[in-house]
Amino acid sequence: METKEEILEYIKTLAEQKTITRAELVSAYDSGSGIKTEAASANKIGIEEILYYIGGMIVFLGIAILIYQNWSTLGFGSRMLATLGGGVAAYITGVLFGRDKRTETVGSAFHLISALVLPMGLYVVFEHAGFDMNGYGVNTLSSGILLCMHLASYAVFRKNIFLVFCTVFGTWFFFAVTGFMYEGNPYFDNIGTLHKYQVLAAGLSYLALGHAFSTSERAPLSGFLNGFGIFGCLGSTLALGGWTPHQNIFWEQVYPLFIFVTLLLSVHMKIKSFLIWGTLFLMAYIVKITMEYFSKGLGWPLALVLAGLSVIGVTYVGITIKKQYLA
Amino acid sequence: MEVIKRNISLVIGLAIPIVMILLVAGSIYLPGLFTKPHVNFLYASGNDSSDSYYYSNGQQYAVRSNTLIETPIRQHENTDQLPVPMDTKLYIYDVAKNEAREISFEEAKNLNLDSNIISPDGFEFVCGSRDYGFFPLFGGPHGDYRDRYLKGHNVSRKLNLQLNSSNTRRNNPYFLGWIE
Repeated sequence: METKEEILEYIKTLAEQKTITRAELVSAYDSGSGIKTEAASANKIGIEEILYYIGGMIVFLGIAILIYQNWSTLGFGSRMLATLGGGVAAYITGVLFGRDKRTETVGSAFHLISALVLPMGLYVVFEHAGFDMNGYGVNTLSSGILLCMHLASYAVFRKNIFLVFCTVFGTWFFFAVTGFMYEGNPYFDNIGTLHKYQVLAAGLSYLALGHAFSTSERAPLSGFLNGFGIFGCLGSTLALGGWTPHQNIFWEQVYPLFIFVTLLLSVHMKIKSFLIWGTLFLMAYIVKITMEYFSKGLGWPLALVLAGLSVIGVTYVGITIKKQYLA
Repeated sequence: MEVIKRNISLVIGLAIPIVMILLVAGSIYLPGLFTKPHVNFLYASGNDSSDSYYYSNGQQYAVRSNTLIETPIRQHENTDQLPVPMDTKLYIYDVAKNEAREISFEEAKNLNLDSNIISPDGFEFVCGSRDYGFFPLFGGPHGDYRDRYLKGHNVSRKLNLQLNSSNTRRNNPYFLGWIE
């Protein structure tokens, strides 16, 4: 077995002879170390895509402002044409552009316009049909229709952008359908607590989906799902812990365990968003606990000094972990 | 089974929201299958607290010593413009049929009424709740304070009340007593 120095020397020789390229070398290293950079870089959103999507959002804003400013003067037909008609037209354009590899990204921008404009179109239709627009029922119906439409689109076209819309409309549907069941019902005395559990459930679901997608062609969605998922989980558990004297002891005890597991997983699975959110929420926890339990005994100034020092310590450890394991 | 095993993360990811929806549905609807209210009650609809600006007492009826009495509406001395006084109507709510029927004061004053907030079978006449939702894409607030429910034993059941008029500001229903 050769030593490391011998291997590096051998690579140097191969490079001089031009028998190995830098890309091949990096690729061999990545494949050995388990870093999935190939799939990620191939699907990474570049400046070109970002500009297309910004263009799509500007189109959406234009339609939204047009409808808002002329709501009273536009008839039902004009409103529907501008919103539902515009959404359907954008969807068809997206499908047509998506058929050619060269214009695929332009197609995605049109799908973004469609996904943003179609909810407005459904709003116009349901409002005209006399639905209670403040009810969860119309939210459930709209999100359900859009979820089904984008699930079907994904099944046919197998494009990741439809999975993003499925996630967004699926989350909307989840919140709407649970809301529809308790709407107006005084059964839940503290509706805020139910909302926190909803966010926790959505966050856990995102994390599981992020993990499921991480080893397939859907890997680019993992970052988005992991980031929002861990934010939802840690944010909701922190909120469930409450604030003294109305704190929930169970969630206050479980929360640091969640953070510990998050930081551990960030290293184990090499997920940067886990490390970032884990560190930020650990800081929030330290500040919260200091304010709640130590500000009276130690006094505010000393409690602030302790909290500040702890935050500095946590930041240092976080950055060290990032450099050592995730760089 | 092998497919589920291979895609266990995907299955868990999709199952979590479905389980949560089932849990919310179960906690709201299941207890209602086993526990039902049995005690009918008397309520009134006609004038509400906004009328107390003009009149010293907003409620035309009250229960004293288990009997319904009429309390004449008195005008405040310092008010000169009065809204048209609105007749308050009395209704008996049949909890088994989930419907209300109007009765006259003469009939109602013969009833033996329990004016406790909680009924003998553990239910309470409460207002609906309202929230702004966590994912509010369309509208809000959701729910209506003007709806009324019977709540107790982990059950809350929406009441199908009859109201005196469609003027929602002045038809506020108020509870008078459980019929013994």
